[in-house]
This record gives sequence, C-alpha cells and structure tokens, in this order.
Amino acid sequence: MQNEKIGKRFWKEFAKGIIISNPVFILALGLCPTLAVTSSLDNALGMSAGVIFVLLCSNIIISSMRKIIPETVRIPVFIVVIATFVTILSLVFQAYLPPLYESLGIYLALIVVNCIILGRAEAFASKKSVLLSISDALGAGIGFTLALIIISLPREILGTGSLSVVGRILFKLPVLFENPMAIFILPPGAFLVIGLLLALFRWLGVVKNE
Amino acid sequence: MKFKNILSNKIYAVVFLTAVVLISVSLLMAVNNVTAPKVKAQQEDKIKSLLSGIFPQMDTYNYEDEIYTVYQDDKEIGYAFLANGKGYGGEINILVGLDKDFIVKRVIVVSNTETPGLGSKITESSFTDQFTGLSAGDIFLKKNGGKIDAVTGATISSDAVAEAVRNAMLKKIDAVK
Repeated sequence: MQNEKIGKRFWKEFAKGIIISNPVFILALGLCPTLAVTSSLDNALGMSAGVIFVLLCSNIIISSMRKIIPETVRIPVFIVVIATFVTILSLVFQAYLPPLYESLGIYLALIVVNCIILGRAEAFASKKSVLLSISDALGAGIGFTLALIIISLPREILGTGSLSVVGRILFKLPVLFENPMAIFILPPGAFLVIGLLLALFRWLGVVKNE
Repeated sequence: MKFKNILSNKIYAVVFLTAVVLISVSLLMAVNNVTAPKVKAQQEDKIKSLLSGIFPQMDTYNYEDEIYTVYQDDKEIGYAFLANGKGYGGEINILVGLDKDFIVKRVIVVSNTETPGLGSKITESSFTDQFTGLSAGDIFLKKNGGKIDAVTGATISSDAVAEAVRNAMLKKIDAVK
C-alpha cells in the first residue's frame, strides 16, 4: 500500500514537468538558452541532454543534503552544487564531443544560471525526498527537451531548408534549401516561434491557467 | 543560551559552505585530470589537420614564438600563424599559410561569431581562395585599392579578415626574416 502510494506520487511529479508545469511553455523559465540553442535540432538535443544531467545530479545531491544545509547559505550551496555539475559536463563535452561543445559555446556554461535548475532546487529538491526529487528532475528535464524539440524543428526546417540529427542530414526541402528563411535561425525568429507556440498551447487549452 | 545558538549556526554555515566548496573543487580537479590530455590532443590534431590542408606535402612542423614552420624532408617549405581581428560580431581567428617566399598559400578562417548567412560566409572558399597567391601589399578590399572582393552584404566582416591577415603577415614576416 505504501509502495503503491510512492509509485503514484513518482509518476505524478514526473508527468507534471511534461505538460502542466512545462518549464518553457508554462513556467517560462530558461528562455534565454532556449532562444539561443533552438536554431538547430542537434544543439537543442545537446543542450537538453546537458540540462537533464545537471538537473538530475543537482536535485539528487541537494535533496540528500536537505536536512543539513544551513538556511543562511542555502542559495550559495545550491549554486556551488549546480556549477560543479555544469563544469563537469563542460569538461566532458570539451573532451569527448568537441563539435557540440563548440556549437553550444557560452550557453553550456550558462546552464548554471538556467532558472529551471535553481528553481527546482529551491522549490522542490530542498524540501522533498530524493526519490521524488529524481522524478521531478526527470519530468522537468524531459518537458524541457520536448519544448526545445518542438521549437527547433520549425526553426531549422524553415531557417535552413533541411533537418539534421547527430550530424546526419535527414532531408532537404527543394525550394527552401536554396532560399532559406534565415530569420528563423536568428534571434527574432526564435521569439516569433516561441511566441506563436505559446499562443497555440493556450488556444488548445492544454495549458491550465494559474 | 540563545546567543550560543546563533553563534554556532553562523560558524556551522561557514564550515558547511567551505566543505561543500572543497569537495566540489576536488571533484573538478579529478575530472579535469581525466579530460585535459584528451583536450590537448584534440587541439594538436586540429592544428595538424589544418596545416596539412594548407601544406599537403608537410612531413613535420615546429612551433616557436607563435610561428609554425612547416618542413618536408627536413626542408622548410612554408610558415603558418594565427591572425586575429575584430569582426562585426566579435573576434575572428584565421590560420594564414605562407610559402617560403612569404606569398599566401592559403588562409582558413578558424573561428568567428559573424552573422549567420552573411558575415559567416567569410569561411567559404569562394572568399578565402582570393588570398592565395597574394603578397601582403595586395591584401586590401577592392574598394580600398586591393585585390579582395568582399562578401556581398558583409563588408565589415570581409575587411576585418583582410586587415587581420595583412597585419599578421607584416608582423610575422619581419619576425622570420
């Protein structure tokens, strides 16, 4: 009975991050890196993998330490933990995935100040059990990933006339490839796509208003 | 009693944060030790492949005082160095390869943050091929009396490349002589 209850809560926290509390479309957190890395699907996937890794590790560590973290240095401790994992991620990418490391550029280091991660640490991991913190991190991380994929698909297809995954070109559209709408891979295009998608989500009623 | 609680809380906070930082730093040092050799090897590989691209007959190269001297069969066949300049969007880094008469063999734009679709076209061979065969005195944009056609719509980026290459050439050629 106890295990069933825990299992149910696990899935509830997980599912929450995907739609109802989607970090990008609902909570509007982490929009800066979102705008920057969604110019290509590969960058979006790379960034998402990084964010999931950091989110998971920081939630686990912070949650396991939650009872001994002194109140007064709470935020500095969170930031040191998060920055440590982001640096590890950065070193690993630099050594083993150099092309991704170069495309992400400064946005890799900026994961430290991605509000999603600090937000989940403050609002959830510092208060709930390790198991629930794991499901919260996975939910928010996958929600973030889905949001990034949904945004980067139109941006890359319209902005370059083609789509590539892990370096392999999936397809090229005939007219668009020679004359791509470059605005979509530039910052204004990012704002346009995100704005339109936000409007679409609200119109479909998938979003529950606060 | 109350006073003691506050004091011990403050000290505990400092100790705790210090401990967290120490653990974090040790962890990072460990990870860095594992990844650093790999990163260094990659950078050397990258330079090597860039130099081979410019000098296909290269056997070995030597790096001293920021100049790469390229050898084939122990004979000096050329020189290469990194030039950098300020472009429209930031720093542009260019690998310049010269033959032993200090004429440009080829230039490769190694890194840039110019506008995608416009200034970023300076990396394309249709632009960089123009540098081949020129001496430093010719490396200006056509509108400034030189022989380089700017990328359409990206005059600033193109000019930045020409200026960076020319200035580096003048400086390094002096150093080699």
